Amino acid sequence: MRRLVSGLFLLMVFAVLWLSCGKQKTSAFQIPVEYHTLNNGLKVVLSPDHTAPIVTVAVYYNIGFRIEPKDRTGFAHLFEHMMFQGSTNLGKMEFIRLVQSNGGVLNGSTRFDFTNYFEILPENKLETALWAEADRMRGLNITEENLKNQQGVVINEVKVNVLNQPYGGFPWLDMPQYANQNWYNSHNFYGDLKDIEAATLQDVKDFFHTYYAPNNAVVTIVGDIEPETALQMVTKYFGDIPSVPQPQKPDISEPRQEEAKRFTKDDPLANRPALAFSYHVPPKNTPEYYAMGLLDQILLQGNDSRLYQELVQNKGLTGSVNGGINMLGNMFDYNGPMLWTGYLFFDNNVSPDTIMHDVDQVIEQLRTQKIDKATLERAKVKMRASLYQTLGELYGFGRADLMACFALFDNNPGEINNLEKQFRAVTPELILKTAREYLRSTNQTVLVIEPKPASQS
Amino acid sequence: MKNVKVFHIFLSLIFFSSLLFSQKETPPEGSQPKNFVLPAQKTFTLNNGLQVTMVPYGTLPMVTVRCILRAGNLNEPADEVWVADLTDDLLKEGTTSRSAEDIAREAANMGGAVDVSTGSDQSWVGGEVLNEFGPKYIALLADVIQNPSFPETAFERLRKDFLRNLSIAKTRPQSLAMEKFNQVLYGNHPYGHVFPTAEMLQGYTIEQVKSFYDQNIGAQRTHIYVVGKFDEEAMGNAIHDNFDNWKKGPEPLIDIPKPQSKRAVYIIDRPDAPQSTIYMGVPVVDPSSPDYIPLQVTNTLLGGAFSSRITANIREEKGYTYSPRSSISTHYRNAYWAEVADVGTDVTGASLKEIFKEIHGLQNEAPSQKELTGIQNYMAGTFVLRNSAPTGIIGQLSFIDLHGLDTNYLNDYVNNLYQVKPEDVQRIAQTYFVDNEMTIVIVGDRKKITKQVKPFGKIIM
Repeated sequence: MRRLVSGLFLLMVFAVLWLSCGKQKTSAFQIPVEYHTLNNGLKVVLSPDHTAPIVTVAVYYNIGFRIEPKDRTGFAHLFEHMMFQGSTNLGKMEFIRLVQSNGGVLNGSTRFDFTNYFEILPENKLETALWAEADRMRGLNITEENLKNQQGVVINEVKVNVLNQPYGGFPWLDMPQYANQNWYNSHNFYGDLKDIEAATLQDVKDFFHTYYAPNNAVVTIVGDIEPETALQMVTKYFGDIPSVPQPQKPDISEPRQEEAKRFTKDDPLANRPALAFSYHVPPKNTPEYYAMGLLDQILLQGNDSRLYQELVQNKGLTGSVNGGINMLGNMFDYNGPMLWTGYLFFDNNVSPDTIMHDVDQVIEQLRTQKIDKATLERAKVKMRASLYQTLGELYGFGRADLMACFALFDNNPGEINNLEKQFRAVTPELILKTAREYLRSTNQTVLVIEPKPASQS
Repeated sequence: MKNVKVFHIFLSLIFFSSLLFSQKETPPEGSQPKNFVLPAQKTFTLNNGLQVTMVPYGTLPMVTVRCILRAGNLNEPADEVWVADLTDDLLKEGTTSRSAEDIAREAANMGGAVDVSTGSDQSWVGGEVLNEFGPKYIALLADVIQNPSFPETAFERLRKDFLRNLSIAKTRPQSLAMEKFNQVLYGNHPYGHVFPTAEMLQGYTIEQVKSFYDQNIGAQRTHIYVVGKFDEEAMGNAIHDNFDNWKKGPEPLIDIPKPQSKRAVYIIDRPDAPQSTIYMGVPVVDPSSPDYIPLQVTNTLLGGAFSSRITANIREEKGYTYSPRSSISTHYRNAYWAEVADVGTDVTGASLKEIFKEIHGLQNEAPSQKELTGIQNYMAGTFVLRNSAPTGIIGQLSFIDLHGLDTNYLNDYVNNLYQVKPEDVQRIAQTYFVDNEMTIVIVGDRKKITKQVKPFGKIIM
C-alpha cells in the first residue's frame, strides 16, 4: 500500500463471495450503483458510501496480459509501469507525488483481462485524482530513458518474485502455462526477460494508442461522494478524450480438455516438494459457474473444507491447502477461460501419488453423491460472508473492482447486487451436474514441483 | 471523541516546481476537507483483569473479533523457539468439548473461521463473522482460548508442519536476511531467535506446550476488540458470560533488550543468486519517545513511501530494484529502523552507495518545507485509512495498548505529525541513522559481491 507495488506482485487473493442460507429472512446487502456512459464511450460507475471521508478512484482498461502481442510476452505488465512514467501534464514521479502529497495511496496491476490503476484519497481530493487519471488517458510522454529504467525495475520484479525464490511462480504463473492450449491463455505473462528487454518506445506508443481509449475503459468511483458532482467532474476531464475504434478481439477460447495431464518441474531453490491441481471452470455467468463457486467453498475454502479435513486433519500430509478460481484475483474479475486450482507443500518422503489419490477420492465423491443439505448451506453462508469481506476490502477498492469488471465485461455493474440470488439458486442437483462435467479426471492438470538443489560450490 | 482536523493543511498544498516552470496545467486542488472523527470506542474491564474495547464501525453486516494476548515469542525459554506458535496453533485443534472439525465447522456456519497469529510481543485469536452470529462466535472463541485439550496427535502433526515451514523459510533469502539482522541486534534475547533449529523442533514435547500455555495465557494478558456493525449489549453480555470466570493468569512479562549494532557487513552466501537481498539498519527509539513521530516522518521521507528519496533513487532513477522499502519495527520499549531491498547482483555495491548517499543527504541538509509537507499529508491520509477498516482500527488500538501510550496519542497524532519541522528531520537523521552503528546483512552470491561491498564495512561471513 505504501508504494507502487505493480502488476503481478499484487496477488490480491480476494476470496469470493456470497449468499444467503436458502429460505432465510435476511435480505441481501445492497450497495448503491449509478451507471453512465459518456459520448466518447467511457463507462462511469458511481457508488456512494459515507462511512469514512475517503474516496476510491479506479480506472480499468479492457486490456490484460492474455492478448498482449505474441512477440512481446510480459508487455501488458511492462506497459502498466509506463503509465507512471509521465503524461501530458505530469512528469516522471509527479503522478505518484501528486497522489501521496494529497494524502492518498495508489497502485496498479495487470491481470488476465484488464489493467487497473487506482487511488484512495481524502474525499475532497476526488477532482485532483480525476484530473490526473484523465491526463494519462489523454496521452503519455515517455522517454527512452524512462523505458529503460522500468525495464530494469520489471526485470528485478521478476527476479524477486520468481527467479530468486523457491517455488517462484508456483502455481499462479506456472499452472496456466501447463493447463491451457491456446497461446493467449498459456504464455508466460510475466514475460521472458529477453522480450521485456526487447520492448521499444514504438511498442509503448502503439499499445497505448490501440487500447488506452475511453471507449475501452471504465472509471469507477466509490466512497464519500455526491454522484451528480462526481459525474460532472468525470465529464469535465474525460469527456473530450477521443474514442478509438477497437481491434477485433482474438479467439481466446480453450478446447474442452479430454485427457488428464501431469507435469513435473525441477526447482533448484526448493527443498520440499509441492503440488498443484487444476480444472477448467464453467463459462462465466452460467448456472454451473455459480455452482463452481460453491464447489470451491466446499472443497477448498476454510478449515471445514473437505480437502483440508482429509489432507491436513485426517492424513497429516500437509499443513494447509490453498487456492481458488483465478489465482490472480477472484471468480468475478476476469473474462475468458479460467482455472480452479488447489496447491500444497509436502514432505520428501511422501509420494505425490499418495496425495493425488486422496484428492481424487474427495473430488470423486462429489461426482457420485448428491451434496448433503448442511454442507451446501454452509457453503452458501461462507460465500455470503466472503462477498461482504470483498466489499469491505481495501477501503472500497474491493467493491470498485467488482463493479468495474461487471461494467467492462458485461455492461452491467449492478450485477454486484444480483450475485446473492445467483448463488441462492444453486441446487444439490446442479452441484452434482457441475462436478460431473468440470471435476472430471480428464479435465485435470497436475503440476509437481521437485526439489533439485544445485550443488553447492 | 475529539474531532481531528486532518486535512486542513491540504488546502495550502503546493505543487511541484517543474509544473510551475512549464506551460503545463496545474492539477485542481479539490474542495474543502471534511473533519475526520476517529470512530468512537467503548472500553471496560472484567473483574479478572480482561480488557474489552468495542468500536461500532461501518455498514457491512459483519463483526470482527480479536482476542489479543500479551504473550508471544518473547515469553519463550531460550531453547524453545516457536513453542508460542505451536501453542497458539494447537488452540484450534480441540477443546475439552469440541474437536478441531467442530471448531472449524461452527465458525464456518457463522461465515468465518478461528484464526490465530503469533507475534513476538502479542498474539491473537479471532476472525470476522456475519454479525447475527457475533455472540455465538464470542462463546466459541472463549472455549478455544480457555479450554484447549492439546491433543497429542495434533501436536505430532503440527511438529511435522513446522519442520516443513522452517525448511522452506530457510530457502527464502528475505527470511535469512531478517533472521541474521535480528541475531546481530538482539543476540540471546528472544527477539534474536527468529527460527528454531530442526533439532529443537524435534525435541519438543506436548508438556512444554501445556506449560507455556499455563504460564502465559490468562485474563490479565488479554484484550478483546470488537469492531463492525453489531449489537453492543448482546456482545457485551456474551463477553461477560464467557470470560468473567476465566483465570486471572500472570501479569505481562517485561523483558526489554539492549540491542547491539556496530558497522559491519554480514554476507550469507547464496550461490548464483540473481539478486542480493539487503537488510540494513540500526536500533532507534520506541513509540514512547517524543522523537518517535519525528522519526516516523523521517523514515517515510527517506525510504518509507513510493515518493521517498531512496525509492526514487534506486528504483525510479537507477532501476536497481523493484520493491525497496524502509520501516521501523517496534517491540515494547524497543525498536529498530531498517531499509530492505532486493537488488541486482551486479549493482549490490552501487545500491549501498546510493542508500548511504540518501541518508547522508538528509544528515547534511534539512529537507525543504515543500517536500516535508507532502510527506506529512501522505502520513495524515494513511492515518485516516488505517482508521477506516476494522482490522486497521484494531491494529491502532492494540498498538497504543502494547506501548502503554496515552489514548490521546491517536487524537493528537495528526497535529503532532505537522509539528515536525525540516530541522527535526535533519536532527533525527543525524541522531539515529549513525554510520558506524549500521548493521548490514546481505544474502547473495558471495563470489560476485564481496569485492563490491568491501568499502562498506568489515565483512563477516
